[in-house]
Formats: sequence, structure tokens, C-alpha cells
Amino acid sequence: MNGNIWVLASADSVAIATTLILAALGALFTERAGVLNLGIEGILLTSAISSFLAADSSGSIWLGLIVGSLVGALLAGIHAVLSVVLRANQIVAGLALVIFGTGLANFLGKPAEGKTVTTLIKPLSFGPLSDIPLVGPVVFQQDPITYASIVIAIVSSLYLFRSRPGLELRATGDDPATVDAQGLSVASIRLRYTLFGGLLVGLGGSWLMLAQSAAWHQAATTNGIGWIALALVVFAGWRPIRLIFGAILFGFTLQLPFTLQAEQITFIPSALMQMLPYLATLIALIALSRPSTRNKLGAPKSLGIPFVRDER
Amino acid sequence: MRSPIRIVFEQRSETPKHLSVLVPLLSVVAALVVGALFLLATGYSPLETYSNMLSDGFTSSRGITDTLGLSTVLICTGISAAFAFQMNLYNIGGEGQLYLGMIGGAWVGLAIGERLPTFIMIPVVLLVGSLAGALWILLPAFVRSRLGTSEIVTTLLLTYIAASLVKHFVYSPGSFFVTKNSAFPQGRLVPESASLSGINNTSLYPTFFLVIVIAIVLFWVVKKTEYGYRIQVISDSPRAAHYAGINANRTTMSVMLISGALSGLGGAVLIVGPFGRLDPGIILLGYGYAGIVIAALARNNFSAIIVSGILFAGLRSGGDKLQISTDTPIHIGVMLQGAILLFALGGEAFRRYHIHAVRTERATQ
Repeated sequence: MNGNIWVLASADSVAIATTLILAALGALFTERAGVLNLGIEGILLTSAISSFLAADSSGSIWLGLIVGSLVGALLAGIHAVLSVVLRANQIVAGLALVIFGTGLANFLGKPAEGKTVTTLIKPLSFGPLSDIPLVGPVVFQQDPITYASIVIAIVSSLYLFRSRPGLELRATGDDPATVDAQGLSVASIRLRYTLFGGLLVGLGGSWLMLAQSAAWHQAATTNGIGWIALALVVFAGWRPIRLIFGAILFGFTLQLPFTLQAEQITFIPSALMQMLPYLATLIALIALSRPSTRNKLGAPKSLGIPFVRDER
Repeated sequence: MRSPIRIVFEQRSETPKHLSVLVPLLSVVAALVVGALFLLATGYSPLETYSNMLSDGFTSSRGITDTLGLSTVLICTGISAAFAFQMNLYNIGGEGQLYLGMIGGAWVGLAIGERLPTFIMIPVVLLVGSLAGALWILLPAFVRSRLGTSEIVTTLLLTYIAASLVKHFVYSPGSFFVTKNSAFPQGRLVPESASLSGINNTSLYPTFFLVIVIAIVLFWVVKKTEYGYRIQVISDSPRAAHYAGINANRTTMSVMLISGALSGLGGAVLIVGPFGRLDPGIILLGYGYAGIVIAALARNNFSAIIVSGILFAGLRSGGDKLQISTDTPIHIGVMLQGAILLFALGGEAFRRYHIHAVRTERATQ
């Protein structure tokens, strides 16, 4: 067995975790505010193609990342208006966003078919550190956004659990009536974090496009990563630090089919192997929903419930 | 600082009749306007695109039978979604259950189709397809009713797994489902005894009428039977249902299994109808996802689903032909579906609430 491939596989697990971390963090902020946005998959896909088109026409990857992130916030804005302002059914609104986003992405992606990104986001080099066996490729050969995603997750954790606005955010998801009684606007907090969540999801989608996929494969570009991210938030118990490790774990299952194929390990047919990430996510979700574990996870208590002051 | 004007949502005690018609209608118009903006921005003519789409789906006799033919499977996935949605069970994996219906239907057709006559085989294929669909939701239904695991993500993850299963059965060498020694992997056609022919050689199959009957029967079940009453009580107030001695777990289980079976039926309908074989092309069509939109737009009303199913089939079949006749991207059809649903959801607020602006001074006195 070629040991080198497995080092690359570990490095890939960390790399592919980037999109999972960013998308799941976006969902985490949204859900901590009490808003359930199931539209992540649609947002990822639309921001991915937007970043491609922006980078392709301007020649700048960074502009691609910015445009992709903003498009993410824009789509999340639709969800925010529907669920916070108009009090629509959040589950159906999220699904509508997935369908709209998928159609929109494929529509916008028509001119991108068959093209590839000319310059990808490149891994950083830390000189001799990057050459250390095993540790080098896994820890010191990632690209700037991958490092940034981990930093963002750590900062998010501090913000959420160690700061005043973080406390207000958590309170909004758990007990909006109290937040309202404090004279804060529940609607404004929920709107802001839904938009911010969309921005992070959009960054994740853009990175997936400009660092990982390089070419537009319609819906297969994201291939369900948005849904895995939603499960990851539950898996991590709505906590950013746990989310990092969960993302690397799920990232491992996402890249394993490709590694096995490259290794020509074919005792499991490749089509069946591709089920692995979804199967692993499914099992994790079910294992976590035993009533004893669920209470400890700490889901925001008002998740998905519109706040209406008059009916209090 | 407070803004001088505040928007007030006043719950309506009764929804005016005209709004129930106006809101869905305006949603469609608004979505078409948004679609037109995107078409203009990318250099297509909205008028030409829309008129091609609509005239193909709804005016020519060929177009109408195509539309009704396509609506058969869309009504299946629509009632499948609605049956679960009405009890606040969000089975969004109808897409995967539909794949399983195709796998199950094709399997039984290929396995015993040669030996049995048509009048037995057609019901057998439809039944096995439905059972396969129900099987695919068994795990989400079980963990939802026993552990409370949200069915939303589990049913969806199973759709991705079902898609891999379809690919496996078609692309793995020597598979039971494919033609032996064919130049490229392709599903084997089920024998004649397991397939119907279109009415007057059109793409409208007799299964259309079966599905309409099922939709009407479900309408009756929900409105008039004790089972339907139980569903209503549980969805309105789980606590009241508990005190009334209703076993919510068992009802959850049965509602989800029936929902899965209806999507499975949609897959089996494709086997006896136009497809006749397990075809991985189904993965790109999204008939299961469309069912969610159709159900939501019809507000889970089974008779309204027949109408919205046919409407969407018209948009789709016109859109599918656009791909062949012009270079207009077909994806505009899917985008419009999503946009219509988004607007309908927004419009729902105007149906439920009387929304008006008041001056803050007066409101806070």
C-alpha cells in the first residue's frame, strides 16, 4: 500500500473540511439566533457559480471570493425576510431556497460549462515546516482560506461564549421574550445573524469552487455538502470548536471514495463507496438523537419558531 | 431611537376568499417577472421564452397530452409530500423514494414479467414500487417516531444514497438491471406484460387516471375518516391528541410510510409508462423535489395538487422542449418553481395577517 496516498488523504480531509466548517458555522450563527435555514445547499451552489463567474471575468480570485460571499448573504436575506419579517414556514422557505438556488446556479452556470478556473487558490508554504513527514502536508500545506476558516471558528467560539453580543445572540435563540424585554430588537438580531450566516456559507461555496472543484459540474459541484453541514451543526451541539473536529471527520468520509479509487482499492464498487459520507452523517444523526444525548446537545430552544410579541 | 412608523401584523379571524386565489396567482406572476429580469440580463428574450414554454405545454394537443403524462408522476410526488406535510412531517426525500420505486418496479418486472399476464403484472409492478418507496422511508419514520430524530435531514441524506444505488445498478458490470453485452451501460427494458402503452400513442398513460383517483381518495380519507381526523388532531395539538388517547407514534409511522409509498408509486409509474427501464437520467429530472413545491403551492390540499401538478407539468414539458428547440437554458423552469414558492410563502403573510403601518405615537400611547 502506498503510504503517501494516505498522507494526502489526511491532508485532503483537512482541506475539504474548509467548506464544511464555513457552511456549518453559517448555519450555526443562524440557528443560534433561532432561525432555521435549510437553504444552505442552494446558497453554496449559487455562491460557487457566482464566484466562478466573477473570478473568471475579472481574473481575480479574491474578487471571486468577495462576490461569492455577498451572493450568499443576499440569498440568506431572502430567507431572513420570509422567516423573520413575514413569519413564513421556515422549513418550506429553506427548501424553496434550495430549489431556487439550484435552478439559478444552473442557469447562471450555462456559460461556465466546460471552462475551468485558470488560477486556483494556492496552498501557503512554510519552508522547512511544510516538508516534515505527515505533519507537513496535513498542517503546513493548506491554503489561506483553510487556515482562516479554523481561525474564524475559534473566534466564533470566543464571541459566542465570552462576549456580551454573543450572550445576546444565544439568548435570542433560547428565549427571545427575555431579549425583547431587555429592549433589544429580536427581529433585528435575527436578520443580522441570518445575513452573516449566509456570508459565511457563501465564502465556503466560493472556496469550494476556487480551490477545490476548479470546474463547474452543476449540482454535483456541492453534491449535498450543504445538507451534511446542517447535520454537522447538530453533531457539534451548536458549538464552533467541536464543529472543527466534526468537519475534519466528515471531510474524511467525503474524500475517502476518491482516495480508494486512486489507490485502486475496488472491493467495494465505487458507486456504493460514494454513499459513505451520507451514510456516516445519517448514522451520526441517529446515534445523537437518543433522548439522553439530545438534552445535553443544547439545541437553541426557540429554533424555527417565529417571535411574536403580541402572542406572548 | 424609534422610527416614526411601525408595521403592525394583525391576525385575521377569517381569510377573505379573493386572497386565496389572488396570492398564488400573483406569486406566479411575480416569479415570471423575476425570471424575465434574469433572462434579459443574460441576453434572452423573456416574451419569446415564455411564449414558447407555455404554448408548447398548454395549447397544442400533443403538448396537452405531454403535460398530462408528465403530471402523473408530479401529482404522485405532490400528494406524497402533502400527506406528510399536513401532519408537520417534512418528508423531503420523495426524490429518493421515487428512485427506489423505479428500482423495485424494474426489478419485479424483469424478474417475473415473462411468466405473468399484463393484468397481473401492472398492479404487481406498481405495488412493489410503492413498497420499495415505503421501505426507503422506514428508517427515518422509525427513528422519528421512536427517538424524535428530525426527518428532514435523514430523508434527504437517503436521497443521495438512493442516487448512488441507481448508478450502481446501472453501471456495475453484470448488473441484473442492464442489457448484457451492450456497447454502453443501459437499463434493460421490462417485458411487454409489465408495460402499458400511451392512450392513442401519446405520452399520456392510463396510470394518470389511477393517480387522480388516488388523490381524490386521499382527499376523502383526510376530510371524512377517523384516521384523517386523528391526523388533524395531532398536527393541531400533539398534547390534545395525547390526552384523547391517540397513539401519535403509530400515526407518525403510518403517515410517513404512506408518503414514501406514494413517491415510490411515482417511480413505478415511470416503469410501466414512458421509461420502461431503470434509467439513471431520472437523477437529473428532480420530479421528487418538484413534488414539494407542488404540495406547498396547493397548501397540502389534495384536489388543488391535481391543478398545481398539471400547471407545473406544463411549465416543465415546455421547458424541456426549449432545450431542444432553442438555446434557452432549461434551468429557468426549476428557477421559476423555486421563485413561485418563495413568493407564495411571502404572500401567505398577507393572507394570514392584515398588515398596515401605524404612527408610533399612537401605537405606544
